[in-house]
Amino acid sequence: MKKWLTGIILFMLVFSLAACGQTEDKANGEKEGNKQSKSEEVFKIGAIPDQNAAFLQSGMEAVAKQLSEETGMKVEFVPSVDYSALVTGFQRGEIHLAWFGGLTSVQARNLVPDSESIVQRPRDAEFKSVFITQEGSGINTLADLKGKSFTFGSESSTSGHLMPRYFLNEEGIDPNTDFNGKPNFSGSHDTTYKLIESGSFQAGALNISVWEAAVKEGKVDTSKVKVFYTTPDYYDYNWTINSNVEEVFGGDAKQKVKDSLLSMPGNSKEIADLFQTDKFIETKNDNYEKIEKVAKELEIIK
Amino acid sequence: MMKLISSLKLHKRFILTLLLLAVFLWSLTSIHWNRELFHAGGIPTMLQIFEGLIQPNLAPSILLAGLESAWITLAYAVAGMSLAIVYAFIVGVLASGTLTTSKFSRFISKVFFRGILGFTRSIHELIWAWLFVAAVGLSPYAAILALAIPYGGILGRIFADMLNDVPVEPIIALKAAGSSRLQTLVYGFLPLVWADFISYTMYRFECAIRSSAIMSFVGLGGLGFQIQLALSDLKYDAVWTFVFFLIALVILVDGWSHLVRKGLTDHKRKSVFASGWMSVLFATLLIMGSWMYITYGENARLYELFSEKNMEYAKKFFGGLLGINQENPAFLDGESWANALKLTLETLEMSIMAIGFSTIVAFITVIPAARNIANGNLTLKKRWYNWPLFAFIRLLYIFSRSVPELVWAMMIIFIFKPGILPGALALALHNFGILGKLWAEVVEDMDPRPIRNLAASGASKIEILFYGILPIVLPRFLTYILYRWEVIMRTTIVVGFVGAGGLGMDFKLAMSYFNYTQITLLLLCYMILVLIADFASETTRKAVK
Repeated sequence: MKKWLTGIILFMLVFSLAACGQTEDKANGEKEGNKQSKSEEVFKIGAIPDQNAAFLQSGMEAVAKQLSEETGMKVEFVPSVDYSALVTGFQRGEIHLAWFGGLTSVQARNLVPDSESIVQRPRDAEFKSVFITQEGSGINTLADLKGKSFTFGSESSTSGHLMPRYFLNEEGIDPNTDFNGKPNFSGSHDTTYKLIESGSFQAGALNISVWEAAVKEGKVDTSKVKVFYTTPDYYDYNWTINSNVEEVFGGDAKQKVKDSLLSMPGNSKEIADLFQTDKFIETKNDNYEKIEKVAKELEIIK
Repeated sequence: MMKLISSLKLHKRFILTLLLLAVFLWSLTSIHWNRELFHAGGIPTMLQIFEGLIQPNLAPSILLAGLESAWITLAYAVAGMSLAIVYAFIVGVLASGTLTTSKFSRFISKVFFRGILGFTRSIHELIWAWLFVAAVGLSPYAAILALAIPYGGILGRIFADMLNDVPVEPIIALKAAGSSRLQTLVYGFLPLVWADFISYTMYRFECAIRSSAIMSFVGLGGLGFQIQLALSDLKYDAVWTFVFFLIALVILVDGWSHLVRKGLTDHKRKSVFASGWMSVLFATLLIMGSWMYITYGENARLYELFSEKNMEYAKKFFGGLLGINQENPAFLDGESWANALKLTLETLEMSIMAIGFSTIVAFITVIPAARNIANGNLTLKKRWYNWPLFAFIRLLYIFSRSVPELVWAMMIIFIFKPGILPGALALALHNFGILGKLWAEVVEDMDPRPIRNLAASGASKIEILFYGILPIVLPRFLTYILYRWEVIMRTTIVVGFVGAGGLGMDFKLAMSYFNYTQITLLLLCYMILVLIADFASETTRKAVK
């Protein structure tokens, strides 16, 4: 009786599976045609997850809505867990337009040769990072960081890793050996200041725009955390459009998207809040040559 | 003569234990032990995390999110396991050689298919997931296949072993009656191994739940995703809520699997029949529900994986791994090798430290955790605190093993500085619960008579432990230590992802920088480590026997 019963269990397991497989195959044949054209109609946008996930979601959905209204396309925001996941999606042509950091836009354009950085904020042409520490830590200059514990943001971040590392190198500090232990990668700018505030790390570097917003909105306690160094200017964030857009959405799609982006934030509070800006301007690939050079020097890209 | 051999054996074990101890001590020397290991804010952060543990966030929105993610985690695990069973069944039969006729072809099929099974299970499921996402994009199938492949590898090997171990008499009888190869398989082999196969599958199912939870690391939903989000916003109270959901899920599955296994192994109980049918029904519903959810709820179709576009990207990705069209691929570069080998050594030290720590904690706690000691049967002594202590330690074990290593690592990294120590601690935290549970079962199964004799002649607790229990259970304890060490070795790369040092950390960086040949190099080193661990563990286990 026992063997008979177990036999049934096993066969049920296997056959219920096989049944699923068959129905899938049938569905395959019938739906392939219309599914393909349907999925091609959706214009997918993405953003590097460098901030609080819920905040990013509401801002990017407002962008999707406005883009959709102004271009007539169906637009959808696709969230991603880390920077490289977004770059991979862009490479695969699944993301048509992405809000990249300087480094990720360079990585993406290397992987998709004819893609183009088209729009940025005025502040992205003169972007900066801030180095922060706890009040009373005794850290006042970059040189004081030797022997202290330190956290970057995401390893793929321009303002949270690449440029801070570059300016540390200029100061003669090798982040791999000169800190107290190896540097940490927090994953996002918001996490970085929280880790400094909670005292988990003695110092860190992050995006100036996220920092200013956090101060303005009272998300960070400025009696505990202070800025001790602000970097020189560099080019950072931009909207990068994929090379497959004109082919999939028609010849004028790229221009329409660009025009719509340049008209933002319009009267959308969500967009203005997320991007911390009141207007967008044009940009071009050449603006990011310096970032590419630095990334190559630091052997982050080949 | 017999005496000589047995005393030699005893010495062999003793020498081996010393050797293992020495290796553990060596691994400890790789760390500079001082207060500096915590970073400045380590202790306050630990208190904050602990505060969240006592007061988890029970807001309705969090609970709802927890419930939904728990379902996703379960659905992926069920779907992955059902594919794993199919894979294990087919390749397992081929690897057992029961279908082949000539000796030569049997040998070839055994070596070839066992090789496939061995390869697929040697790589950790999260690495598979990462490779799948890079090759076919973000689809639930990336997670499902990533689960199915290594689990299918493990199940398939066990299945093949079981088929090879069936008694020959019934098979000879069937053959003599003129049945074909296939008929012998269906009527001879399968009925003999079904019960064991299902009970082992159910046991693995519990592990699959935990693996499924950490799959979200590659960007797929589930409990791990929620834990990761909550941790990145430093909301420790919400982190613990989701961890509790995971623990509850693991306990439920564990309970069910226990029920099924008991039903299958217990011959006499009458209720087996009813509960067996309930399980069949439940399993069928669960499998159908999971596939329906993935197919319609998440709108993912298996065939989409094999679209021309995906093939193109997969080709590109694997081409990148092989370094096609690349000058100076990392795996041909001496300096890269030197660096990777250094990390490999670090990873090895991390794994040894991890198994050492979990052995120590399990050793301290195992005696009160055994049922036959708690109820006083073994030592003939009853103390009021026996049962509360038993319950406390068993709860601790469940807590420890229900939380995946990766989640432990993500929290520990806030307390210690990045490096191999937090990685080792995370691995140890997860594994001491498993080791403790397995050991406690060994103690429960041992012959009670020698111990009762010792106890009756007035031996103290410590004396009973060292002269009564340990000599009997030590070989099996050692076997389990070595077995867990193999598993830890596979997992070291995963805890590295979150900054806990070793090969994993560089693997993550190489992934972020799209440095594909470096990934190949690190994977090579990882495979070498896994092979060494398997070999070392197997030879040592044989020596213990």
